[in-house]
Amino acid sequence: MKDTVGYTTADGRQIGGTVMEMKNITLRFGGVEAIKNISFDVHEGEIRAIIGPNGAGKSSMLNVISGFYHPQEGEVWYRGERRPTMKPYEVARQGIARTFQNIALFEGMSVLDNVMTGRLTHMHAGMFSQAMWWGKARDEEILNRQKVEEVIDFLEIQAIRKTPVGRLPYGLKKRVELARALAAEPQILLLDEPMAGMNVEEKEDMSRFILDVNDEFGTTIVLIEHDMGVVMDLSDRVVVMDYGKKIGDGTPDEVRSNQDVIDAYLGVQH
Amino acid sequence: MLEQIFIAPFIDMIEAPDFLMQVLWEGLVSGILYALIALGFVLIFRSSRIFNFAQGIMVVFAALTLVGLYELGVPAWICVLLTLFVMFVLAIAIERIVLRPLVGQPDIILFMATIGITLFLIGFGEIIFGGENKIMITAELGIPTDSWVLEPFGGLLILEQKDVTAVAVAAMLVVGLLVFLNKTRMGRAIRALGDDHQAALSVGISLQTIWVLVWFIAGIIALVTGIAWGARAGVSFALEVIAYKALPVLMLGGLESITGAIIGGLMIGMLEKLFEIYWGQPLMGGNTETWFAFVLALIVLLFRPQGLFGEKIIERV
Amino acid sequence: MPTSSDDRNGPRSIPALLHRNASQFGGSAAYREKDLGIWQAWTWSQTEAEIQALSLGLINLGVNEGDFIAIIGRNRPYLYWSMVAAQAVGAIPVPLYQDAGADEMAYVLDHCGARFAIVADQEQVDKVIEVQEKLHQFEHMIYLDPRGLRKYDHSKLHQYAHVQDQGRAAKDELLPDLERRETKLAYDSSCVMLYTSGTTGKPKGVMLSNRNVIETARSSSDFDQLRDTDEVLAYLPMAWVGDFIFSIGQAYWTGFCVNCPESPDTMMTDLREIGPSYYFAPPRIFETQLTQVMIRMEDAGPFKKRIFDYFMAHARKVGSSILDGHSVALVDRLKYALGEFMVYGPLKNALGFSSVRVGYTAGEAIGPEIFDFYRSLGINLKQLYGQTEATVFITAQPDGEVRSDTVGVPCPGVELRIADNGEVFYRSPGVFVEYYKNAASTADTKDAEGWVATGDAGFIEEGTGHLRIIDRAKDVGKMASGALFAPKYAENKLKFFPNILEAVVFGSEREECTAFINIDLTAVGNWAERNNIAYASYQELTAHPQVMGTVQDHVEDVNVSLAEDAMLSGCQIHRFVILHKELDADDGELTRTRKVRRRIIEQKYGDIIKALYDGSPKISTTTEVTYEDGRKGSISATLEIRDAKVAPAGTQKVAAE
Repeated sequence: MKDTVGYTTADGRQIGGTVMEMKNITLRFGGVEAIKNISFDVHEGEIRAIIGPNGAGKSSMLNVISGFYHPQEGEVWYRGERRPTMKPYEVARQGIARTFQNIALFEGMSVLDNVMTGRLTHMHAGMFSQAMWWGKARDEEILNRQKVEEVIDFLEIQAIRKTPVGRLPYGLKKRVELARALAAEPQILLLDEPMAGMNVEEKEDMSRFILDVNDEFGTTIVLIEHDMGVVMDLSDRVVVMDYGKKIGDGTPDEVRSNQDVIDAYLGVQH
Repeated sequence: MLEQIFIAPFIDMIEAPDFLMQVLWEGLVSGILYALIALGFVLIFRSSRIFNFAQGIMVVFAALTLVGLYELGVPAWICVLLTLFVMFVLAIAIERIVLRPLVGQPDIILFMATIGITLFLIGFGEIIFGGENKIMITAELGIPTDSWVLEPFGGLLILEQKDVTAVAVAAMLVVGLLVFLNKTRMGRAIRALGDDHQAALSVGISLQTIWVLVWFIAGIIALVTGIAWGARAGVSFALEVIAYKALPVLMLGGLESITGAIIGGLMIGMLEKLFEIYWGQPLMGGNTETWFAFVLALIVLLFRPQGLFGEKIIERV
Repeated sequence: MPTSSDDRNGPRSIPALLHRNASQFGGSAAYREKDLGIWQAWTWSQTEAEIQALSLGLINLGVNEGDFIAIIGRNRPYLYWSMVAAQAVGAIPVPLYQDAGADEMAYVLDHCGARFAIVADQEQVDKVIEVQEKLHQFEHMIYLDPRGLRKYDHSKLHQYAHVQDQGRAAKDELLPDLERRETKLAYDSSCVMLYTSGTTGKPKGVMLSNRNVIETARSSSDFDQLRDTDEVLAYLPMAWVGDFIFSIGQAYWTGFCVNCPESPDTMMTDLREIGPSYYFAPPRIFETQLTQVMIRMEDAGPFKKRIFDYFMAHARKVGSSILDGHSVALVDRLKYALGEFMVYGPLKNALGFSSVRVGYTAGEAIGPEIFDFYRSLGINLKQLYGQTEATVFITAQPDGEVRSDTVGVPCPGVELRIADNGEVFYRSPGVFVEYYKNAASTADTKDAEGWVATGDAGFIEEGTGHLRIIDRAKDVGKMASGALFAPKYAENKLKFFPNILEAVVFGSEREECTAFINIDLTAVGNWAERNNIAYASYQELTAHPQVMGTVQDHVEDVNVSLAEDAMLSGCQIHRFVILHKELDADDGELTRTRKVRRRIIEQKYGDIIKALYDGSPKISTTTEVTYEDGRKGSISATLEIRDAKVAPAGTQKVAAE
């Protein structure tokens, strides 16, 4: 990998070396190029944002990272190795958890059960001992439950522990989805428009949780947002996409003063 | 006439409680098998939204394989293991050849595909095992064929031991499935997959593994049902029909409710037997068991479209 | 059994009671808290050890006798221990309202000159840091939950557990000092200082002595036969005198267990899981719970609903009589027993009231329907009347003499006197020592003989000896016609309607009365949903013609009932307006205990009041609001003003004064 040296952020946090790198990614749907030859890296412990107008290809990029889409060209490097083509569940087992723009929860199950599914990648005991609530399986279940309860406490959703997810309001569903992703204790957390459709207060809560997650667990976070204001406050470095191309990459301040970015956001004709 | 419908049957029941118990017992035996098959449907439906038309033929196929292997001279218990293996291979084959290429297709396409599987298994089974009836290898599997004769209320109650065995095994399987679904990682994954594919993938659940698993479970259920029913009625393609008894059970219990499948199965088993003995035979010349369950389900659906146990469907504005 | 009440040599301080409990009930639970989904328990012995470790840690940090220690956070065992540890080292605990803003907090911290604060979490730490520079004496802060605080400067910031660790480590060295300090605690030394939110002016620090707290705890525990096996749920603000008496005074006197909820949002679930036997809640909570039950029944199937209605009607008929021990026909008793099995039992269980032996409500008048609803279910809900200055108890209702319109008879040891202007005075062992650093106010409130003015107007009912409260004495005024003006009386009648959350009645020195109404968003919103009425905001809902109509009906009903009493018939409401925003403590319109601040509202909404009296049909107005994070904004609205029908006065005979 080219750059494995970390850096120090404006607020004094020490960021580690490169944990993931996208190299010359190109993704096509039929004849349409959703992503055109994009490269960027993600450092360990940073909050990395991908922004851009609607249709810029941000979600496609996130889907490439999480294995839902497979790029026609380019390579994904993760923890110093080139990642072969992987299915989404294999990516999840590698320690990359995600949330979805349109919330993908198990609506029929309770909040607790939903968050518990986040622990699936951490369950290893044999099926028989699991069913019998024996030995290793029992310890494992207790440990997993403990971890899940910590996440529930962290995200302050104790009051809805037993509520079926289908009955929750939108803002809380978003939080439950984040809880499920966190329960996996991911190395990288991918957030697809975590603030979409929220009111000001909910956005503030969500921002605080994102910062707390990063601060408390040191989780690397890659997030997509189209609300510029929120992103600039939250993230350490920002990739700007427009029409599938990368038009900017750097700290929020650098990006803000980048002429291409200004043009894209002011709607200059292409 | 009214007297015959509303009074006489109940007097019969009270006057001969031992016979009533016998009838209920017979009903319970079929009921638990219906419940088991319905459970197979529910499992597949919940994890993949597929209404598995092939469940019935899988019962026949499993029973034929078992008996067929025995006829080749393989020891009975080895036959069971080999049949399980065949069902496992079948599950993998179905996932690979049928389901995987059809991911994302409308539900009706997948339903049609299971009809395809049914037709294939009928043809394939006939080629290999021939079309004639076979006898289930009950005794050879160590299933007792004697009867217990009890004398409740000074009457007579005959419990065939193979029925008792069937009930016991089926009940164990049902309990085992419930524990599996609620207590284990895979069970949780199955429930999760039924809710949201995308979300399931994102927490590390592999669609393929789960599909193979549920189809294999459906195969195990088919084998147990095949043995139990085959022991009572012989092994033939007609066995397929009992799987269709699971349809009214599902209508009553709802396609997604595990409790619904169990209670629905037991209810239908007992009610159709009661109806046959106390109303069907005296009033309609018998043979009501072939249609009673369907009519019952229709009546229930008129009043509760979501089934007896289904969640109330609320359309929100 | 606790030490007999005649034993004058009994424990003379809360720490002394702690040691007594540790030796008498050592193995039974003193505290429980739900943490990470599991109820954790501490026995009295463990509690003693935890408090000792903290006390030693506090000495280690340099706490002196006579220091004030501020305690800020929601109800948690650790913070209760902090209070007792503070007392043990000779300091005075000062619990503060956790939702107080930084300004309010700065005033109190400065006024008592606290050198130390023990706070719950980052939110409180931030608030104290924000005001710290203005505080001269302030030195150290101890926090419970380390989340988000790792990067803070820790030279004057300490984690609770670490303070305890240091205390344990220095035990040999510091224990003699701690023991010396504890033996110095006398019956008349300070026990706690509680700030009253006060409807006007700055908060006042009410100093209570060990005598106040222990005497009150003893007599009130005797009054209701509280015992060490009782369970309470501690969820009301720790800064409120009631919580101090229930969760510390009575808990330490009788040795019962204090249960702390997992979070404020889970209170109802935790209530159900604990099933307290002794329970206190302000009327608002009972109202909310009743509203929720009624909403759930609206959604229930017709069969369920019919059973519910049938048995509730029966409960209304005989439930209270059965609870009061009156004679009830056997058939009715049997039917009630069936109802208990079918409806009341499951309902009480769902509400968390299955084991309630003694329940109290106070602070505001409770709606008769609400009060009777709970009593008819067989829940022994009673009313009490009290004040911070009285260490809570002034009057309470004895079992068997419970009514919704009185506040009961004087508690043991309390003397009552009604002044000529109707103001209620009392004298008791619970009467506070002083307002801290405010001799003038102390003298205004408490006379040389120990009589304390309550500030409430009321009268003692002939025959029963029960006290009835009309209103705040200073709010009982005269109208232009000379008729009695008792706004609170009318407001309470309005608030008994589930659709009305808050009401403010005007009319002092005026020809007629008018009112501001706040609708209850839960009740009205639910009604709107059921009737397919779309609304985008609270403001839009308040302006809906059908909502206006419903409220008008309520106002006119109240007018009819006010007219029945000639003395108060002048308080009938001629015109009203539904406010476009909820009155809010953050905007200073209510106190933290949700009492209306009349003066501030009159100033702030002067334009609306003017419109109420000049006959205009509409008023456009702009109002400043404060958001939760302290930022300010404003909302504009055009409000419709409606006239309400007034009933002819004195339709009933007036009771003599």
